[in-house]
Amino acid sequence: MSYLLKQLAREWRFLLRQKYLVVLLVCTFVMSGFAVFSGLSEVTQQKQTIERLKAADLTDLTNVQHKYEDPGSLAYYSFHLTYSSPSNLAFAALGERDIYPWKHRLNLLALEGQIYESDAQNAELAQAGKIDFVFVVSALAPLIVILLFHDLFANERTSGRHDLLVTTAKSYFALWGARIAVRLIAVIVCLMLPFYIGTLLSHSALADVGFVTFICVIYIAFWTALSVWWGKNASSAPRVASTLIGFWVLVAFIIPILGDLVINKTVHSPKGGDIVLTQREAVNDAWDLPKKTTMDAFVASNPQWKDHVDMQSEFEWKWYYAFQQVGDEKAGELSHAYRDAAHTRYQLAGIVSWFSPPLLLQRTFTRLASTDALAAFRYEYRMRGFHKSLREFYYPWLFIKGNPPKAALKNMPSFKKTMLNEMDEPEVTGVKLKENLSVN
Amino acid sequence: MTTPTAINKTPPIEQKTFDKHVSNTGAALNDTMIEVSSLNFSIKNNAILKNLSFSVAAGEVYALLGGNGAGKSTTLKTLLGFNKPTQGSVKVAGKEVTQALDFVRGKTAYLPESATLYPHLTARENVEYFLSLADIKKSDEQINAAFNRVALQRDAWDRHMQTYSKGMRQKTAIALAILREAPIFLLDEPTSGLDPVAIDEFNQLVRELALTGATILMVTHDVYGACQVANRIGLLKNGELVGEYDAPQSGRIDTEQVHAAFGHHANRGA
Repeated sequence: MSYLLKQLAREWRFLLRQKYLVVLLVCTFVMSGFAVFSGLSEVTQQKQTIERLKAADLTDLTNVQHKYEDPGSLAYYSFHLTYSSPSNLAFAALGERDIYPWKHRLNLLALEGQIYESDAQNAELAQAGKIDFVFVVSALAPLIVILLFHDLFANERTSGRHDLLVTTAKSYFALWGARIAVRLIAVIVCLMLPFYIGTLLSHSALADVGFVTFICVIYIAFWTALSVWWGKNASSAPRVASTLIGFWVLVAFIIPILGDLVINKTVHSPKGGDIVLTQREAVNDAWDLPKKTTMDAFVASNPQWKDHVDMQSEFEWKWYYAFQQVGDEKAGELSHAYRDAAHTRYQLAGIVSWFSPPLLLQRTFTRLASTDALAAFRYEYRMRGFHKSLREFYYPWLFIKGNPPKAALKNMPSFKKTMLNEMDEPEVTGVKLKENLSVN
Repeated sequence: MTTPTAINKTPPIEQKTFDKHVSNTGAALNDTMIEVSSLNFSIKNNAILKNLSFSVAAGEVYALLGGNGAGKSTTLKTLLGFNKPTQGSVKVAGKEVTQALDFVRGKTAYLPESATLYPHLTARENVEYFLSLADIKKSDEQINAAFNRVALQRDAWDRHMQTYSKGMRQKTAIALAILREAPIFLLDEPTSGLDPVAIDEFNQLVRELALTGATILMVTHDVYGACQVANRIGLLKNGELVGEYDAPQSGRIDTEQVHAAFGHHANRGA
């Protein structure tokens, strides 16, 4: 056995004889295992929900198409499932998927109300409360590292062994190097082993697993180096621990919380509820307005239908859907402000993350797992694109052609079919998506 | 009062011969193994050691005697390379400590004042652990022999050290030092806190080690113990060597003489 392995083997046996370290490592493994298990359960549940809704969607759509022939009723009663499937790595970093919606059933009615039924907070900075793998690694692992390393030197000094150890050891590595390496390896294994099992079960890409391993090892090594450096010349383990824990609380909680407060104070955003209310009031008011007023507003933004807006009766579906779209347009300004604010917050949170390693890790991880705010924005972008394609499909039948034949319904857009390529950019009114999505 | 087993088991010191020219440690007897010359050590302009000079030869027990704050432990730490001399030279086994730290530490067995080994390990496990740190492999028989030599009770060998008395811990640490086969022993207040029987046992052991050619430097404030075991005593006061006493042909230093000098200097410094 080589000299190096001999030193590591001795320190490994020595570590196993220290019960508190073993208990700490077992707790780490259990915590990581629980986080991976709950992440896998959540992702499985989301996937099952999507599959269940897909099947239900198909049945509903078939029933509606069987029951109705006119395009207005078809559009009114047909709901279309849109969804954002969790990535294979989502189990490890659920990210914003429990804040931002990942499924919607849309119909041809006004879109804004359908999107903003629930308001999203600035969840990017919300650290505590979600026990997924990235939370365990980013927020809890530093505490474990501190507990493992804070007394590495101080304990030996206070017990009077330090000088004996140093003068006995053949080299610096034989003692401190091996001790640090063994503890570091042990904590990394305890943290990462459940993750690797999770990646096997979720069929994650090897490159992603490699990258996650790389950033996690760098991150744990950073906290280890900090703990070792800070404790190297100290003779009081509690003092070392309290200083390091203070730093941990600062970067893991105080900076993100303060960042959140500052961002919320500086970036003003309308509430999702205000958008819904504006859109719905516009729609409700339209019932009492002269039809010409609505149609003029509609034609102003949709001039291609200007020759087909005359009405023959008191109620026509084209008028009904026109005022739905006008409702969307009236709420458009608020909606844009909301999305702009969300993007600005995301950008500012990125700046804050440079002062908070846990936040930076979480941000990097959720980006990789496509569970961050950007992924949620992209899903919304796709929803808007899909809703646009629904209007493009129905409007010719509503405004000109009348009842669509059954064969034509086969060309009805589905979310899966119209899922936009990431390089595509539909002309969604006022959405500065391309530039915003390119923001890290 | 029970008779200490160590004294019964170990041969009387007078039976050992001292006429070899080469010690068991490989160094020729009377070779200078520790040489401190004009050593000065300061911390933030505060002089801790002042122009300190002394030497210790192979087979010799040198006691550096002094009160609290005299600079005894600082001298030991400088010999072990924990302190860098502000001025002067510190040589161990012929090498400058600051230039050959690993070599010096390899030649040195250090016994701290409170030899607290790992309480959750047995004496044997502790010894094995520390030997492994030094990259030394010893058989169970060799470890047993060392335990026997320091008169550590057999039933304690495989017991966790948290149940040990200070004397037993000292013996274990000495056993470790013996197993390391280091030619130089640096002992920091080795009898502090020991009961009289344990002190006798310890002194006996130190004399035995010296007879095998080991170089022993002990720092202590115990005048009586130093006179019992040392060939020479250096009196340290406020970082200065203020007196040195050689053992006469009888092999014993006059305790009263040193005590008087120690008290005199202590009073003068007060």
